[in-house]
Amino acid sequence: MMKGLRSVGLIAAAGLAFSSTTAFADELRIVSWGGAYQKGQSIGIFQPAAKAMGITVKEDTYGGISDVKLMVKSGADKFDIFSSGAGSCASGAAEGVLEKLDYSIIDVSDHLPGMYSDYCAGADIFSVVAAWNTETYGDNGPRTWADFYDVEKFPGTRAMRNKVDAQLETALLADGVPMDQIYEVLNSEAGIERALDKIRTIKPHIAVWWSSGAQHAQLMKDGEVDMTTGWNGRFDVAKDDGAKVAYDWRTGIMDWEGYGIPKGAKNKDLAMKYIAEMMKPEYMAEFAKYITYGPTNGKVYELGLMEESRAKMMPSHPDNAKHQLTLSTEWYSKWRTIAAEMYTEMMTE
Amino acid sequence: MENSSLNISIKNVTKKYDEFYALKDISLDITSGEFMTLLGPSGSGKTTLLMVLAGFTNPDYGSVKFGEEEVILKPPHLRGIGMVFQNYALFPHMTVEQNVGYPQKLRGVSKAETSRTVDEALETVKLGGLGHRRVDELSGGQRQRVALARAIVFKPKILLMDEPLSALDKKLREEMQIELRQLHDTLNMTTVYVTHDQKEALTMSDRITVINGGELMQLGTPNEIYEHPENGFIADFIGESTLLPVQVKNSKATIGKTEIKVAQPLDKDGNFSLVVRPEKVFLAPSKKKKDENYFNGRLLDSIFQGESQLLVIDLESAGGEAQELRVRIPNQSVTDKALPAIGEKVTIALKVADSYVVS
Amino acid sequence: MSLTTNNINQNELRKLAAREGYTFFGLTVPYLIMVTALIAIPVGWLFYLSFIGRDGTFSFENYERMWKSKAYIKIFITTFKISILTTIICAAIGYPLAYFMSQLSRRWANICMIGVLIPFWTSLLVRTYAWLVLLQKKGLLNNIAIDMGLISEPIKFVHNTTGTLIGMVHIMLPFLILPLYANMRAIDKDCMKAASSLGAAPSRAFWTVFLPLSLPGLLAGLLIVFVLCLGFYVTPAILGGGKVIMAAMKISSNIELYFSWGAASALGVVLLVVTGIILFIASKLVSIDQLGSR
Repeated sequence: MMKGLRSVGLIAAAGLAFSSTTAFADELRIVSWGGAYQKGQSIGIFQPAAKAMGITVKEDTYGGISDVKLMVKSGADKFDIFSSGAGSCASGAAEGVLEKLDYSIIDVSDHLPGMYSDYCAGADIFSVVAAWNTETYGDNGPRTWADFYDVEKFPGTRAMRNKVDAQLETALLADGVPMDQIYEVLNSEAGIERALDKIRTIKPHIAVWWSSGAQHAQLMKDGEVDMTTGWNGRFDVAKDDGAKVAYDWRTGIMDWEGYGIPKGAKNKDLAMKYIAEMMKPEYMAEFAKYITYGPTNGKVYELGLMEESRAKMMPSHPDNAKHQLTLSTEWYSKWRTIAAEMYTEMMTE
Repeated sequence: MENSSLNISIKNVTKKYDEFYALKDISLDITSGEFMTLLGPSGSGKTTLLMVLAGFTNPDYGSVKFGEEEVILKPPHLRGIGMVFQNYALFPHMTVEQNVGYPQKLRGVSKAETSRTVDEALETVKLGGLGHRRVDELSGGQRQRVALARAIVFKPKILLMDEPLSALDKKLREEMQIELRQLHDTLNMTTVYVTHDQKEALTMSDRITVINGGELMQLGTPNEIYEHPENGFIADFIGESTLLPVQVKNSKATIGKTEIKVAQPLDKDGNFSLVVRPEKVFLAPSKKKKDENYFNGRLLDSIFQGESQLLVIDLESAGGEAQELRVRIPNQSVTDKALPAIGEKVTIALKVADSYVVS
Repeated sequence: MSLTTNNINQNELRKLAAREGYTFFGLTVPYLIMVTALIAIPVGWLFYLSFIGRDGTFSFENYERMWKSKAYIKIFITTFKISILTTIICAAIGYPLAYFMSQLSRRWANICMIGVLIPFWTSLLVRTYAWLVLLQKKGLLNNIAIDMGLISEPIKFVHNTTGTLIGMVHIMLPFLILPLYANMRAIDKDCMKAASSLGAAPSRAFWTVFLPLSLPGLLAGLLIVFVLCLGFYVTPAILGGGKVIMAAMKISSNIELYFSWGAASALGVVLLVVTGIILFIASKLVSIDQLGSR
């Protein structure tokens, strides 16, 4: 929800772009997603890293990679670093609005395989899962996507995202497509249509198309829907807050988030050093105390920086990761626009 | 001809707002076909009484009968009255024709008949041919005529008018007064007319009811009201007058130490006022008569006013207090006689027949 | 005889008149600048951008996309449906209220007006979320109704068209009431008395006199509400549960989807044009000029 609102802000932001804030030499501006997520980032990573480097870091929220694209294309200067999903980052890179990261400065030698790209330095690993209301279903909620799509066995209201990201996969998994063939099947409009058709079967039961993590967490907290797709960390925070919510790792679709630099950022060099600092395992371990998003830096586990009980809650923990599908950044950079259009059609039908 | 009017009988009508009486026990009979004016200063209750007749204000108690029928509980739209408002209250979204035809339309009168009666009503108020005009294209006088046509088009037996001429300029107002009176004589509706303009009341009415402070002060013909006001308020309110303090003792009236003769018997002792109207007094001839009272004074001012000359006189014999008296001399006399100079001593006369004292 | 001797000071007086004319015209300059800067230029820019494709050259692709996709037509229908319904409900609630207020003494009417305006003092976002809290499945209203035994299953008030309408009507109501109330206040009270004295029962007097006289205010209110509704974003986004997609939301999501102003601009242009056409037709059907001008 907040994210949707920020999109309004984006239009205003583009207008304000001409009167951009001045960047000082020892000051960086970083933007992220707000809510419980950014709170963890701020306390665990952003501010301690800034303190270690003796610089000032100003934080703000933003509306996603589209903000970066609009900012760069309109020649504005609003922030130096942004926190973004790997897929979004890839689409930004494809549009040529990002600075290539200098991995001679940023050390990713200890990163888990695939958890960084030329334009995005991985920072945490999260999952899209199916969460259910334990008041409605007790422990026997929808533990697989097949259950989520089974309105006979699990009657009740559902919520799905109002954007295509990580939603089509759920449909195909429910349809029985093996994990390793998901993106193969989706590699054509017919395949996308197949996934959409599956979603159409439960459309009458979808009470809400959510637009932000804060919203889907609230939906579960208020008992407004009986199950929803959403980010695991948000549900864990909601659960700590008293929400009756549970999820099973077998529904997990794993993705990672990292930092990128918009093309032409004023403090590009400093931003590069700052990202390098944030890659250190101690920050990632600290961050994971606030929200259950796992570290990309393998050293966190090696150095035993995280307690085992906490580590087991992370999507990237081997016990959890083995059940999950890993989101294909490659597929999104190729198909996202088309799939998003088709998804919107399906929603508005 | 059918009897097109009704008498109105008002009994004990009382309306109180908190501690303030808007109408205090008013009883009044208006005869069929009469032109009755309710006259009083603003806030006197005259409009409240009219609104009681129309049904827009409910009194606390009392009775209003139109003919033999008690109407006090009837809503306004069932009372069958014609009404003309101070600011015309024409419907701005309708043409002249539509305005005048409105009551006919409500009564389900056929189109042809409506059209005929509307034309007739417009002819009556001398607006023939203006039916297609928009209301905002009309002058104030024309608007008031439309309002009148609208109120009479359905031939109501009672016509109520609430200060209908007060928004017009003086000349037009005086013309309309005569026209309205003539119209009344033609239509023969019982007319109740509210005004605060005493001259208008005198000009138009069969009878006048003077109201003040929610109370009925006097009811009478214009002549009676003017010539024989029943109290100081009426004497002061109707026409121009100076009230000279008079002491009555043992059937003798004195102003200061001078005794005056009056036209009425004096059966009560106490303080009264002599009503002196400027046109009733005149410069005393050198030879005094028995049937005149005389007042000495000094000429303060002499003002030419067109049709008359107004003399302002400072009375000597007013009993201690300085008292001004006004004398109006008709213009024809002015040219005839030499007028006294300012500051000169003058004696003025008032006929005993014109000498009335009021409480 | 020469002109100058005959017409003393004529030229000077003409100049004086001209100068006064310029000064008078000068009063409009701030407005003209504002309109140009805030309306003419942005609208022109919007129009221009709508013809720019993703590769930055002139193209109809943004309009073609709208043609081809059923979603856009559906979104336009939703936008107009919600706007029209909101307008009608506002009128149904606002008209009697404005009438009531117009009949009160000024003092009491002012107190009522404060009541009407209080929602203006709270942010739109707060009011919208307040409705969500009140109306959701386990919200206050459903809980009370269930506790009282009025219903056994919660009623779905939000995350649908109903919720969107409730939220939007609440926000839009003052915009309808303000012009309507001002108009009703200005209606000569004697007009209704006149109608009544001429034989019209209260309901008849209302339909034949009061209603026509209040139409200009009503139309002004309807127009303001309708046009404002067309551009609504926050309320349908929150209370519509993603199911009520209006044009403004699609404009925003198009920017995210296609990363170009063009895709969003084209939608804006179409909305502007369709709205213009609807208002034009409406103005032809109901000529405000013919109604109760005084």
